[in-house]
Amino acid sequence: MKIPIEWLNEFVVIDIDIDDLAKRLTMRGLEVEGVERFTPRFTGVVAATITKIAPHPDADSLSVCSVNTGKEDLTIVCGAPNISVNDRVPLAMVGAALDKDFVVGKRAVRGIESYGMLCSEKELGISDDHSGIFILPEEISTGTVIAESPIAYDTVIDISVPPNRGDCLSVFGIAREVASILRQRAKLPIFTLDAASDQKIEDQVGLTIQDTGACPRYILKLIKGISIGQSPFWIRRRITRCGMRPINNIVDVTNYVMLELGQPLHAFDYERLSESRIDVRVAREPSTFTTLDSVDRQLEPGDILICDGSGPVAIAGIMGGENSEITASTTNMALESAYFNPFSIRATARRLGIRSEASLRFEKGIDIDNVGYAADRAMFLMHQLGGGTVINGQREIFEKREPRTIYITYSNINGLLGTHISHEAMTRALRSIELHVMKENENGFTITIPNFRHDISEAADVIEEISRVHGFEHIPDTSPVAVLKPQKLTNKDRSLNIVREYCLGTGFFEIINFSFFSTKDIELFRIPENDERSRYVPIMNPISRDWGVMRTMMMPAILKCIAYNLNRGSKNLRFFEKGKVFFQGKPHDIREETILCFALTGREKEYFWKEKYPDYDYFDIKGIVEGLMEQLGANCEFSPTAEPFLDQRCSADIKIDGVKAGWIGSIRDDILKVYEIEQTIYCAELRFDIILQKGNLTLQYKPIPRFPQATRDFSFFVDDAVPISAVVQKIKDISPLIVSVGIFDMFRKEMRSVSIRVVFQSFEETLTDERVNSLQEKIIEEMTNIDGISLRV
Amino acid sequence: MDISGLKEKIKSEISRIANADDAKQVKVSILGRKGIVAEYLDKLKTLDKDQRRDAGKAINEIKSWADGRLGELEKQFGEIERRKREAASRIDITMPGTVPLFGRKHPITITLEEIIRIFSSLGFAVEEGPDIESEHYNFEALNIPSDHPARDMQDTFYINPGIVLRTHTSPVQIRTMEAKLPPVKIIAPGSVYRCDNDISHTPMFHQVEGLMVDKSVRFSDLKGILTIFIHEMFGPDTPLRFRPSYFPFTEPSAEVDIGCVICRGEGCRVCKDTGWLEILGSGMVHPQVFRNVGYDQEEITGFAFGMGVERIAMIKFGIDDIRQFYYNDVRFLAQF
Repeated sequence: MKIPIEWLNEFVVIDIDIDDLAKRLTMRGLEVEGVERFTPRFTGVVAATITKIAPHPDADSLSVCSVNTGKEDLTIVCGAPNISVNDRVPLAMVGAALDKDFVVGKRAVRGIESYGMLCSEKELGISDDHSGIFILPEEISTGTVIAESPIAYDTVIDISVPPNRGDCLSVFGIAREVASILRQRAKLPIFTLDAASDQKIEDQVGLTIQDTGACPRYILKLIKGISIGQSPFWIRRRITRCGMRPINNIVDVTNYVMLELGQPLHAFDYERLSESRIDVRVAREPSTFTTLDSVDRQLEPGDILICDGSGPVAIAGIMGGENSEITASTTNMALESAYFNPFSIRATARRLGIRSEASLRFEKGIDIDNVGYAADRAMFLMHQLGGGTVINGQREIFEKREPRTIYITYSNINGLLGTHISHEAMTRALRSIELHVMKENENGFTITIPNFRHDISEAADVIEEISRVHGFEHIPDTSPVAVLKPQKLTNKDRSLNIVREYCLGTGFFEIINFSFFSTKDIELFRIPENDERSRYVPIMNPISRDWGVMRTMMMPAILKCIAYNLNRGSKNLRFFEKGKVFFQGKPHDIREETILCFALTGREKEYFWKEKYPDYDYFDIKGIVEGLMEQLGANCEFSPTAEPFLDQRCSADIKIDGVKAGWIGSIRDDILKVYEIEQTIYCAELRFDIILQKGNLTLQYKPIPRFPQATRDFSFFVDDAVPISAVVQKIKDISPLIVSVGIFDMFRKEMRSVSIRVVFQSFEETLTDERVNSLQEKIIEEMTNIDGISLRV
Repeated sequence: MDISGLKEKIKSEISRIANADDAKQVKVSILGRKGIVAEYLDKLKTLDKDQRRDAGKAINEIKSWADGRLGELEKQFGEIERRKREAASRIDITMPGTVPLFGRKHPITITLEEIIRIFSSLGFAVEEGPDIESEHYNFEALNIPSDHPARDMQDTFYINPGIVLRTHTSPVQIRTMEAKLPPVKIIAPGSVYRCDNDISHTPMFHQVEGLMVDKSVRFSDLKGILTIFIHEMFGPDTPLRFRPSYFPFTEPSAEVDIGCVICRGEGCRVCKDTGWLEILGSGMVHPQVFRNVGYDQEEITGFAFGMGVERIAMIKFGIDDIRQFYYNDVRFLAQF
């Protein structure tokens, strides 16, 4: 809400610095988001009176004016149509600067010398109006230097009004808070409405309300013979400063009073109201209605409608109809000032997608007790601006409501806030914002809540008001009184810590991607329909199709992220991401799972002077996974995978106790191509929840053996059909004395040759050669018994 | 026999030594089988018994002195020559070293861990909740009625009517209070989602929620705890202020601002000339929220707070575009 200070000054006396006021409003909960200071950007402009206007002999659209500045008479050539003799207008004299780089000079216009130029409001930076010359208000006399006159200055504060404070959506509403800050009382304008006593409004217009729940108060007033025209400068300026556009005097006054008092108003062309009546109704069936912006609107049951004798003329609180709007030829006008049910207005406005200044205020709830005053205020201003005759009295239906009362104890207040505020100070604080104590006893008091405060309905709300006025800065900082309890670290937390440390130690950059991806990613990854990862959770209103559904895999986003970095010249990447994936089960059954994802591409370092780093391969990513699994105490196996997006040559499923805990390998190059990646990506997705279940984080010491180890090396030809992991396991199973089985060489001639180092160790004795030799024989025997394995001699 | 002549001879031999090789040669010439000392010992035969004993003793003294002196010189010249040799084949010690690979935590993780560390040390337990949440937990139970502006489609991602991507971590408050009786003292970190995408908004971001409920938890306690947090997070000299605000699920509600870290309160573009930066929202738990979870709001009180992790990270690290967190550019990540 934008508040011009000169307007605010009509209700309270601002006797402090504006920046200070802004700070104090902010500390009251009315955050001032900006202070805009308007100062003249021009020099050399004075108020001049037009003494003569003659047509330009050589140009139809120009006139030659004589103007008097109080000191001299000058000739000015001017093209604006809106001036007449005796008008006082701003004259930019020769040498005047209207902007940084626009200096007015003497110049000949079609053969006639012009000693300056007459200015529009826009040219002076006072408003956006460029339709004609700025006719100065009466209080500015001839010869006044405009840059020194008050009209050239203004300060506007922009307040972010909290959504529950509808009462602050007006200059007067803000004035009430300012008055509390400055220990004053905000005063409403005093005026006397001149009404014709010879006509009775009851004879002129009828009013009924079908449902006072939807509309508990409605007032109609009439003015006849009004002339429509432009509003005076001061009204237009205030409306403009508040961010609205001036239209004509009638519309401007309705907006002006809404900005001033927070009461939205609506003007009807009285002559166009069929049967001269207004019936406030709640729609029972759908219909269509053309609003004054010429849009056909669909009305639904529950909408509040303002009707005349033949049907709707306005959607209550939201927008008037084309059929009754004020036009240039309107002379008799009916004014509506009403209170509509906030929930109903909000529902209708939301459905129709109309958020007007009026509906915004009705939605938040206006002051039902102020509806009549606002109507009078508008009538007074319209009469002042447009003349005519105000018809005496008003049509009104008003279902009065008693102000709410709330009882609250002093100990409740100080107990919740942690303060020692005295009863008197509480009463004073509340009184300053017009919450009055109705009754009190030694324990507490009963507060009356004025009808404009829709946000106060229970004790906590009153406590907030006291704390706000008292000042948060005057509430102490304390330590809570609480029982100390140690915080348990869950297995999940411990495992995640291990994962994070592991990733740091192994050179991974952690990345974070959005939890969305696209159904196109699922397609590109060739995920079959019966796969869980095809059962994605769609978003009804996504930001874009690329982020249209919740991700069921992490890898697609990581590929995009790799492509992003490759495009920017980073060719060697090690990425790690921990995140959630989402699966749609039965309707309303959505499962969230935590995934760990690793990806490698390029090599460890681009170059090094000592040696060349090899490109990453399958065994780099496999080693990462093996190392992590060991850290987490999980035994995993690698078996051939059917994952449709992996290159079958070097990919595997990761299983723990036979349960699939993820996959590992390189992404098919045809898929990479679509993601615009030209280098091989080795990656793995691990299901963290399964690893957590199967892993074991218990740390247990085993004694270090006191006896020496014995080592034997073997070389076998091993057929490709026999997986090495099976060979290693087989050897380990031969004797508990075999403590380590490692592969130290592998090459391929006609057959694959594998060299294996076996370490023997006893915890009880030093192993004799005979003992080791017999185990060696056993190993050779068992190995060569396997189909596809023979000893290499 | 002229024993003193022996010493002079040896001295003059030793004085010739200029390097390790000389030392070796001279050692032979003095102590060797045909050396000077041997020569003198040979001459002992010509002396009588008494003379022989005295002279023998004297020669042996000179011999052991020479031995010691030569050993010293050998060591000394040996050392000099070793240094010379090393210097001659020294590698360029300024060539780049073999830096081991090391990883980086994402700045959001760094910030989250720091927030969690501070609150854990103050006795808050960590709780989590689902990202896909019912409207009931995300809105209604938090006293955000169905006609509240926050529930417009333009702010909230809907999965289907009734199910949303949580717009804040506050539903974890409700889930925790439903699951256990007071006292409750938790924080809840996690991802949250809103339909926004520009220089200061991403459709997914992170929040940390906090909740403390017990007999007689006071607004002053909220101020105390959050002051400790901010001084830990941004340094003990960071100015801060609590400012009245509005949230449907707290009453009274307070926004917490810290003095702008860019301009130190002078006023700049980042703080919109106010000198202050909004850092978190907080307040006393609204009685309606307690009623919604079946807590007796006559018996207990509580405070709650929530903060945006990206916002804190941006302020802490001076990042001016929130989208940087999600581009995952290694040139960005390598800075943390």
